[in-house]
Amino acid sequence: MTDKTIGVAVDGVSKRYAHRVKGEIYAARNVVLDVRPGEFLTLLGPSGCGKTTTLRMIAGFEIPDEGRILFGGNDVTGLPANRRNIGFVFQNYALFPHLSVFENVAYGLRVRGQAQAAIARDVGEVLALVGLGGYEQQFSGQLSGGEQQRVALARAIVIRPRVLLFDEPLSNLDAKLRVQMRQEIRDLQRRLAITTVYVTHDQEEAMAVSDRIAVMNEGSVVQEGSAEDLYHRPATEFVARFVGRVNLVPGRIAEVAGRGGRVAALGSVLGVRLLPAGVAAGDRVRLVLRPEAIAFADPGSDPAAPAATVTARTFLGEKVEYVVDCGGESLQVVGYNAGAAFVAGAAVALVVADDVVTVLPESA
Amino acid sequence: MAAPADGNGKDPAVTAAVVVLWLLLALFVVYPLAMLFARMLTDHGTFTFAGIATVLTDRHQIRAFWNSLWLGLLVGVIGTAFGFLFAFTAARGKLPRRVLGILDASVLLPLVSPPFTTAIAMIFSFGPRGLITYDLLGMKGVTVYGLTSTLFSEVLTYFPIAYLTLRPILAAIDSNIEGMALSLGASRWRVFRTVTLPLAVPGLANAFLLLFAASLADFATPLILAGNNFPVLPTQAYLQITGMFDLRGGAALSFVLLVPALAVFLLQRYWVSRRFYVTITGKGAGQTPFDSVSAGARTVLVGACVAVALVIVYFYALLLYASLVVALGANHAFTLQHYRVIFTEGLKAIRDTLIIAGLAMPLGGLYGILLGYLVTKKTFFGRRTMELVSMVNYALPGTIVGIAYLIAFNDPPLELTGTALIIVACYIFRYGPTGIRATVALLQQIDRSLEEASQGLGAGSGTTFRRITLPLILPAFFAGLGVVFIRSMTAISATIFLVSISWTLITVKILENITELSLGPAAAFSVLVVAIVFVVIAAIGRLLRVFRAPGAMPMTSLLGG
Repeated sequence: MTDKTIGVAVDGVSKRYAHRVKGEIYAARNVVLDVRPGEFLTLLGPSGCGKTTTLRMIAGFEIPDEGRILFGGNDVTGLPANRRNIGFVFQNYALFPHLSVFENVAYGLRVRGQAQAAIARDVGEVLALVGLGGYEQQFSGQLSGGEQQRVALARAIVIRPRVLLFDEPLSNLDAKLRVQMRQEIRDLQRRLAITTVYVTHDQEEAMAVSDRIAVMNEGSVVQEGSAEDLYHRPATEFVARFVGRVNLVPGRIAEVAGRGGRVAALGSVLGVRLLPAGVAAGDRVRLVLRPEAIAFADPGSDPAAPAATVTARTFLGEKVEYVVDCGGESLQVVGYNAGAAFVAGAAVALVVADDVVTVLPESA
Repeated sequence: MAAPADGNGKDPAVTAAVVVLWLLLALFVVYPLAMLFARMLTDHGTFTFAGIATVLTDRHQIRAFWNSLWLGLLVGVIGTAFGFLFAFTAARGKLPRRVLGILDASVLLPLVSPPFTTAIAMIFSFGPRGLITYDLLGMKGVTVYGLTSTLFSEVLTYFPIAYLTLRPILAAIDSNIEGMALSLGASRWRVFRTVTLPLAVPGLANAFLLLFAASLADFATPLILAGNNFPVLPTQAYLQITGMFDLRGGAALSFVLLVPALAVFLLQRYWVSRRFYVTITGKGAGQTPFDSVSAGARTVLVGACVAVALVIVYFYALLLYASLVVALGANHAFTLQHYRVIFTEGLKAIRDTLIIAGLAMPLGGLYGILLGYLVTKKTFFGRRTMELVSMVNYALPGTIVGIAYLIAFNDPPLELTGTALIIVACYIFRYGPTGIRATVALLQQIDRSLEEASQGLGAGSGTTFRRITLPLILPAFFAGLGVVFIRSMTAISATIFLVSISWTLITVKILENITELSLGPAAAFSVLVVAIVFVVIAAIGRLLRVFRAPGAMPMTSLLGG
């Protein structure tokens, strides 16, 4: 639907606010992002991390104090939102309550001075696209949350924006609808191939919709990458904790061999395929162990394996969650082999494959 | 004057509007008050406390001061109790919609009536030849004048303010909280005492202060009913000026009135009204999931409400009847003579009132929406001050405003007395603030994302204002129009000082008729005003329905102020 797909660059953008208690604070600090044409990029982070501020600066609702915003290589930093040709979907949908569904969607087309016939055709098409054919004369007060969200989406895409921006669009929907709507948003974005920036604090939602995720914390982007990158190779403890569940285990480098080596942890020594650059034997590190990366074996089957005791077991259908105690360290473990029965109190040996462990330097 | 802030401040249209509004506020709010003080504190150009000293040492005037406070206190307490009774019954009584509608309508009557209506009905009922005292009870030589009848009349006139203030608050108290208390084993009475009532306390305080202020400012009721033995400040100030031609004494008396009025206003606005936003949270008025009122209590509550409503309806029916008979209490033969009188001798007053109300209505509505929009959405130097100054004439008792206008615009260069302009200006700046408050309230409910959504879709700020903001605040505009019109039809306290041979008002004519004891035409005038006001309210209600918008407040909630 777009004439030409463009990329969006956020070039060292900062935004400061005067805070009543803390004085001047950075809502966004030197944010750098490069969204490729047609890409679906998600800004993920806890509330107050600067993701919405960054999105609003891309939209033109906020003017950065420093840095530039580029659309397709053109500097739009000083351009007001109404001249950027964006589609913005708000958390609260922001449907115009005094206008019908049809007039809401037609609004951007009317502003652009389109002929009535073209407006009727475009609005009809886009409402059909979001599954709201026949809702033209309804008002927002008569619609369910999911329907309102679809109207907001239709209103944003009907103007054929160069960039589609979402600010926590699903957070007001119930869990089931959220899953359904995020799939619809993803499908629509693929079909229309509109460059998209999406803001959410829900890591599962981010993983489900995005080509790439930028994790933000305290005003800055801390790591960018695919969902797999972030999950399996978190760069910091913050990312490791924020994306997925995690056990962070203290350890000490026992041996460096090539890019990998061995780490002393959990009363044992674990092989690791990849160590952070620049660490030396004796350095303190932390191991990122995902709950599903730990498996149980019979105690004594491998004398070198860490020995642990199961302290809690929760059966959850397709998986079983355990809490084990390993030398005073409490670890979460998920087992998908429901057949193997490890009851609370059972002694086990922990098996950790060397390719699933991420090692973080003490400072990260 | 406009400082650039969010990019709006540089707009030359905004700057121009701000400058014009400041000039108007300076001329019609600040200047008259300054002149009032000047007149009070000077004598032929020299500074003196003699004027105020005369008042403060006059025992009669000191009595008027304490009488005013005492009356205000009583009206506040009793009126709040009545208001709470109605609000609680409406919010928790599970009344059928129809019954609630009838209660609402009867409660609305006093709010939209000219000021003397209950007073006239009181005289008709309880006067020396009153229907109740003389005809029914056969009492002779009773005097209706004094504290009791003034109090009765004022409570009946003003308790709807308390009702309209308390009803949304009681409705907003999540009835699940009450259900919770009930489930913990508390009795209904205990729940009411320990949960509902404490949560309503800020609202009760608010209602009390509003009623206290209304009673303090009331001029018409005591003028008719208080009599010589119960002087109050507004009427004393009026008599000082019209009876003794003592402007300085009148100014000094209004200053004495100003002090408690201002104190109550500030207390209400900056202390109490802020408090209950913190207390009351939760969802809107859902149906009560359980019976928070027992069947017996409900009967008592509804019965009490119906009794009060019946008294009001009786008063208005009596007024209508009095306008259609030769002389109530003496000759009950049907006649249209009184209407003939008001449409011949009184025609000029009717015409003048309609012209003045017709002029004040659109101007006051525009003023309200413009000032409300500017102080909420734009950033400019003196924004908060402008909002406060705009409320002054609204907050002060009408008597003060009227005397201030009389002093300020009596002499060149601003000689406006005797013109329609001065009355129109008085109404705009006295009743326009209702529109300001409505606009501010509506704008605060409109999330900024709506305007951003419009902007994001390519609309400039002009288009966004025209297509999004303006339609959403239209209800406030209509509400402002309605209130200015109604008050223009029914007000007297300020404008009685401003009428002239050239321009007079129906309310002033009613007062003249009462003092001449031509109660028939007075009743006919009152009926006419109530009828006109009801037609206008219905028209505005229809307009509000056409321009649908969220959070559109019902007209009734705006009449409370």
